[in-house]
Amino acid sequence: MNMKRIFSLILTIALAFCFTSCKGNYAQTDLKKPMTIPESGIIEKKILDEIKKENAIAVFEGNSNSIHYEWTIFGSDIKNTRDINLSIELTETDNGIKTVMNESSDFGFPLLLSIHLNEKWTEQNASAYNDGKAVYSVSVTGSKTTILNIPIDKVVSEFTIAPVTDSYSDSQPQTEKVYTEEDIIQTETVTSAERDEYLSGVNNSDNRIYSDGNATDQDKYKTDPVPEGKPMPVEPENQEINDDKAFTCTFSIECSTILNNLNDLEADKREIVPSNGIILSPTVVTFYEGESVFDVLQRVCKKNNIHMEASWTPVYNSAYVEGINNLYEFDCGNLSGWMYCVDGWYPNYGCSRYQLKDGETVEFRYTCDLGKDVSCDWMG
Amino acid sequence: MFILKFCLPSILVTSFINPAFNHEGQTILIYFSNGNPLTLESILYGISSGVMLVTILLWFVSLNRVMTSDKFIYLFGKIIPSLSLVLSMSLRFVPRFKAHMFSVAETQRCIGRDVSSGSLISRTKTAITILSASVTWALENAIETADSMKSRGYGLKGRTAFSIYRFEERDVYAVIWFGFCGLFLLAGNIVSAFGFRYFPNIRYAAFDITTIPFYCIYLGMCITPFIINAKEELKWKALYSKM
Repeated sequence: MNMKRIFSLILTIALAFCFTSCKGNYAQTDLKKPMTIPESGIIEKKILDEIKKENAIAVFEGNSNSIHYEWTIFGSDIKNTRDINLSIELTETDNGIKTVMNESSDFGFPLLLSIHLNEKWTEQNASAYNDGKAVYSVSVTGSKTTILNIPIDKVVSEFTIAPVTDSYSDSQPQTEKVYTEEDIIQTETVTSAERDEYLSGVNNSDNRIYSDGNATDQDKYKTDPVPEGKPMPVEPENQEINDDKAFTCTFSIECSTILNNLNDLEADKREIVPSNGIILSPTVVTFYEGESVFDVLQRVCKKNNIHMEASWTPVYNSAYVEGINNLYEFDCGNLSGWMYCVDGWYPNYGCSRYQLKDGETVEFRYTCDLGKDVSCDWMG
Repeated sequence: MFILKFCLPSILVTSFINPAFNHEGQTILIYFSNGNPLTLESILYGISSGVMLVTILLWFVSLNRVMTSDKFIYLFGKIIPSLSLVLSMSLRFVPRFKAHMFSVAETQRCIGRDVSSGSLISRTKTAITILSASVTWALENAIETADSMKSRGYGLKGRTAFSIYRFEERDVYAVIWFGFCGLFLLAGNIVSAFGFRYFPNIRYAAFDITTIPFYCIYLGMCITPFIINAKEELKWKALYSKM
């Protein structure tokens, strides 16, 4: 019976030990509760140090003129810390949202500013400019009201965010330009100005079939009628790829909606979400005549070493993109997944059935709300 | 032999199957012909799930060896008499039926009805005869068993059952030890001391002073039956050599 006493003693000590001395040290990125930005706007150095040490994701929220804004900070991004001022002043003007930052010098690490507007913008793009010059890239998200996500690396004390009317090149008929091998250049980031300049020089013939909007029934792959003026799907088995004719398109992959819904995101995936929401910034990529969006996506991901998984879905006669950069469908709530839009339109058929044309802009965007938060309105 | 013949192949099969269907993971090794990546994480997860599957099988093999039907009846005979009887009878039924069928087949072979030779039709005929004989025997046997049990008053109130098990002091120690280990490991699980994830990248709890005790306790728990058996074996050997 002496043994029994020893055992119970060991048990008590051990349990006391393991409940007090160790906390979960399984490598996880913590998500902190949203913190309110104080009146002064100053976030102390020690708070940032703590976020950095715990490798956490922290959200600071505040209000200015009844516009709600949030700062998202990834502990893994923080390098040097000091007291920073996160308060901003937002005013609605005729030109857009005027933003004044109270911080004057650079933060020293990238942050994400999300501005929750009280209305819904119809435009899918916005730009942040100061003195007529674009200063930040802005991603427009939000289901009911618009949320503007702005990755901030350098501080610009005053800038205005305004919606950009979507103007894509597909309205004008264009003539064809054929590239030589040397022209098949490496992918590179371009500014919109460069792109426009480039597009004005390039034209291509238009042998694509457009929808007349008269169809009323689904086609045999369960696709609802394609809206008038939009390209009809081209079945992958009918796509003839001409390796001699190289074209270019602008390609981007982004998931900034996740940053507005971090609570729904699976804990294991927090680590791999890019802190600015951009997986691939707008890049000019080369493709060959007749290739579909999916072909290009596959090539771009391979080239840039981005993980991508897709599965062939015979019912829709198209590949279905399950996950990019290890962010899969349903990883951020039940309504989440990847969607693609070409020149601002979300095709209502799979990306293997969209034959690309020279100079088009393809965006792959992660949605957390069946497309509503990425300005796609026909789903759900 | 079981390990070589069954366990190793099943580990191999799962470690091949998983990466073929699962493409998650940050470390891309190569691409499949359909464009999906082969990732290091999915291979490792395949191996680990193969090992896990085999472990479960081994657990059940051990359970089968340790939990004989008399132990089962001893444990559950009072709480759920009919269910435990049905369970132990059906568990026993399979090996018994197999043995009986084998002996019927042997007997049939003696009178020239061999299942291993002859035309397909004659072989099928023989097999059907053997099967029908065995099934008839099994049914009859079940009725007889049920009658026999009924006449001996099984399941009636106040019926006692003899078993050679008693709750002794060493059982108290065992219960305390396993209870302690169980609680300790449960606590370890709560603080994720065994935390391990494969996707999207491999992350696991650090192997340091805060987690080593948990691993030690787990090893201790797993090795306890081995120690008990080895001790008994040694004791037996020692006694045997003295005789």
